[in-house]
Amino acid sequence: MHSRRLLVGVVAASAALLTACGGSSSSTATDSGAGGSSAPTDQGTVRISGQNFTEAEIVADMYAAVLKKAGFDPQVKLVDTRDVYMKEVPGSVDVVPEYTGAVVEFLNGTYNGSNAKPITVSDAQATIDKAQPLLEKKGITLLNPSQATDTNAFFVTKKYSEDNGVTKLSDLKGKSVTLAAAPDCKGRIDCEGGLTSAYGIKITKILPLGYASQQTYDSVIKGESQLGETSTTDGTLESQGLVLLADDQHIQPAQNLVPLVSSDFLKAHPDVADPLNNLMSKLTTDALTQLNAAVSVDRKKPEDVANQWLSDNGLI
Amino acid sequence: MPVTLLVEDGISIQPSCYSRLVNKWYCADYLKDRHGDLTSALTQHLQITAWSLVLGIVIAFPLALLARRLPRLQGLVLGTSTMLYTIPSLALFPLLVPFTGITEKTVVIGLALYALTILVRSMLAGLTGVPEEVRESARGLGYGRLRLLVRVELPLALPVIMAGIRVATVSTVALTTVGTLVSYGGLGDLIRDGVQNDFKAELLAASVLCVVLAVVLDAVVVGIQWLVTPWTHGRGRAA
Amino acid sequence: MRNVRDAWDYLTTGANWGGSEGMWHLLLQQLLLSVTAMLVAMAIGLTLALWLGHLGRAGFLAVNVTNIGRAVPTFALLAILVTLDHPGTAVFGPYGRAGLATLIALALFALPPIFTNAYVAMREIPDAVKESATGMGMTGSQRFWRVELPLGMPLVVSGLRLALVQVWATATIAALVAGPGLGTLITAGFYRTDYPKGIAAALVVAVVAFVLEVGGALAERAVDPNRKGTAMRTTPKGGRTPEHVGT
Repeated sequence: MHSRRLLVGVVAASAALLTACGGSSSSTATDSGAGGSSAPTDQGTVRISGQNFTEAEIVADMYAAVLKKAGFDPQVKLVDTRDVYMKEVPGSVDVVPEYTGAVVEFLNGTYNGSNAKPITVSDAQATIDKAQPLLEKKGITLLNPSQATDTNAFFVTKKYSEDNGVTKLSDLKGKSVTLAAAPDCKGRIDCEGGLTSAYGIKITKILPLGYASQQTYDSVIKGESQLGETSTTDGTLESQGLVLLADDQHIQPAQNLVPLVSSDFLKAHPDVADPLNNLMSKLTTDALTQLNAAVSVDRKKPEDVANQWLSDNGLI
Repeated sequence: MPVTLLVEDGISIQPSCYSRLVNKWYCADYLKDRHGDLTSALTQHLQITAWSLVLGIVIAFPLALLARRLPRLQGLVLGTSTMLYTIPSLALFPLLVPFTGITEKTVVIGLALYALTILVRSMLAGLTGVPEEVRESARGLGYGRLRLLVRVELPLALPVIMAGIRVATVSTVALTTVGTLVSYGGLGDLIRDGVQNDFKAELLAASVLCVVLAVVLDAVVVGIQWLVTPWTHGRGRAA
Repeated sequence: MRNVRDAWDYLTTGANWGGSEGMWHLLLQQLLLSVTAMLVAMAIGLTLALWLGHLGRAGFLAVNVTNIGRAVPTFALLAILVTLDHPGTAVFGPYGRAGLATLIALALFALPPIFTNAYVAMREIPDAVKESATGMGMTGSQRFWRVELPLGMPLVVSGLRLALVQVWATATIAALVAGPGLGTLITAGFYRTDYPKGIAAALVVAVVAFVLEVGGALAERAVDPNRKGTAMRTTPKGGRTPEHVGT
C-alpha cells in the first residue's frame, strides 16, 4: 500500500519534471542569429563565446549575424569573465569577439605569470605581431583589427569640468581625487597606475564600484568620487551629465576590436575570415558608442540593434 | 544624440517608462514588450532547478544510507557536504567549467552539490528518527533490509525528508541565479543585466518572478508530500 | 599548479596581511559584518520563533513565510537595496560603504534557518514533558525558561551554527557594493587573472568557515542536555526528529 502511494508520488514528480524539460534557450545563449533560417547552413556550427557586458553582446550578435549570412550555424554563449571562456578556447569555443590589448595581456599573464611585463603597444597590428608566440601556444589566430577601439576612459560630471576648467586628464595634475573604478584598478598602467605616474594625479582613494557600472556613475554624480572609470564607447554619459576627459598622454594601450578564431577551426573553415574582417573594417568607435546608447539608454535589444546596423551598412 | 524610445500617442514622443531616462521600478510596457525574455528565462530557470534537485536527491540518498550504516562516517559525510556550501558560488561554477564546459550541466552539478548539505542531513535525520521498536517488529516479521527500508523506514521518514526537499528546492531556485556567471542563470541573467544597465524594471520583475517560482515549486513539493503520505491526513487522524 | 603555489606565497607574505587594506583587516571586517547580521537575525527570529513555538501558534504561516525568505536571491536583494535612496550606498559606521544595505540583506538571509529551527525546536518538545511541567505547578513562562528552552537548545543552536557559516560565506557578496570584507580580494583576483590573490582570499574564507563550523558543532554539543555523543542514532522514543531540517 505504501509503496503504491510512493509510486504515484514518483510519477507525479516525474511528470512535473518532464513538463519543465521543454527545450529552452538561455537569454545569454542563442541558437542562431536573427529570425528564420533561409541562409544555407552548409558551413556547419560555429561556437561563439565572450563576455556578457552590453557592447560585447552587441558585437557577438553581429558576429553571429554575418556568419549566419555566410552559411554557418552560430551558437552564442556569453559568460561573466574572460577566464571562464578562455578555458574553453580553442577546444569548445571557435570564435570570440576580442580586444587586442586585453586578450594579449591575458595570454601574457597566463603563460608568463601575473607579474609579467605588459607587451601591448599602442599600435594594434604591432601588438598582434609581438604576441604571435603566445597566440600559437594557445592555438588561436587573431584576424584583422578594427579601427574601432574600446579603451578605459575617465569621466567627471559636466559641472565639475566647467567649474574647474578640466577637459583633459593633464588638467588634473597635482589634484587630489577619489576614483570610482573596477576592483583591479590599483597599479594598472591603464588605470590608477597610469593616472598617478603619467599624469601626476593624486588618487587618495579608489572605490571598487565596477567598470562603467551604475554605482560608479552614481558615486561621481553624488560627489562621493570626482573621477570615474568607464570605456571610450560608453553611450550613457551624455544623458547623465557626465563627460570624458581626454587621454592626452595616451596611456591607454591599443584595445581595437579584433576577431579571435581557433587556429584549427580557421584551417577547417577558411570562409569564417572574410565576413568577420569585413565587419571589422566597417566598425567605428562612434558607431559602437551609438549602439551602446541604443541598448543602455533606449533599452533596445542588442540583437535588434546589431541587425539594424548591419543591414544599414550592407553587411547582411 | 540617439533618439530615445518612443511611446507614440500621436502628439508627442515620450520615452517609455523603462527607458533609462525614466527608469521606473514597475513598468507595464516592459512586461508587455519583454515577456518573451521573461518566459524563456523562467523556463530555463525551472529546468535547471528541477534537474539539480533530481541529481541532488539521487546522490544524497545513498550517502545518507551510508552514513546511517557507518556512524563513524557520519561526521565525514555531513562535514564534507557542509564544506561544499562554504565555497562561494562565485567560485564554484567557474571552477567546474574546465570539467563540464560552458553548459547547463555545469550549473546543474554545482547546484546539486550545494543541495547535498540540506538533503543528506534531512534524509539522515528522517531515517534515524524511525522508532527502534517499529524496526524491530518489522524485522521480527521477517522483513529483509530492502523491504524494511522501502515499506517501513522510508514512509515513516518521509515527512522529515520532504521538509528537507522543500528547503532544498527553494534555496536552489535562489542559487540558480548565480549561474549567470557561466551563461546559464535563468532569471539570474536578467537580474545581472538589470544591475549592469541600471534597468530597474527588469531587475524587479526578474527578482519577483524568482520568488514566485520558488513559492510555486514549494507548493508542488507540498502537494507531492500530501500524495505520498496519506496516513498524515486521513479521516479522524491528527495531522 | 603555479597559481596554487603563488597563492600560498601570497598567504605567507606578511605584507599582505597587515595594513588598512590587508587581509587581516578585511577578515575582521567581514567577521564584524557577519556577527552583526546574525545578532539582528537572532533578535528578530529567535524572539518570534521561540514565542510562537511556545504558544503553538501560526505554525503554517511561520514555516511558509520563512521558506519564501530563502527564495530571494541575496545578490538581487542587495542590488535593489543599494539602488534605492534608502538605505542606498551611505557609509554606515564600521561596516563601510553600503553597510546598512549589506547588513539588511545578510540579516534577512540568516533569518530562515534561525527561525525555522527555533520554531520546530519548541514544537517538538513532547507533550508529556510539557504536561508534567504544568502538573508540577509551573506557569507558562516558567515552563518555557526551565523546561522547553533547555530541551530545545541543541536544535536552536544547530540553526544558529548553520546560519553563521552561511552568512560568513555569503558576506563575500559585499564586494559587489564596494563593501567590507574579503570578497573584494576575491573579485579583484578573479576579475583580471590575478588568480593567486583570488585563490588566497577564497582559501581564507573557507578556512574561517571551517573554524566557525567546528566551533558551532562544539557549542551544539555543549548545550545538549542528553549529551550522548554526536552520531545520530535511533532512540526508543524516535530520536530528535527534525534535526537540521531547517537548514
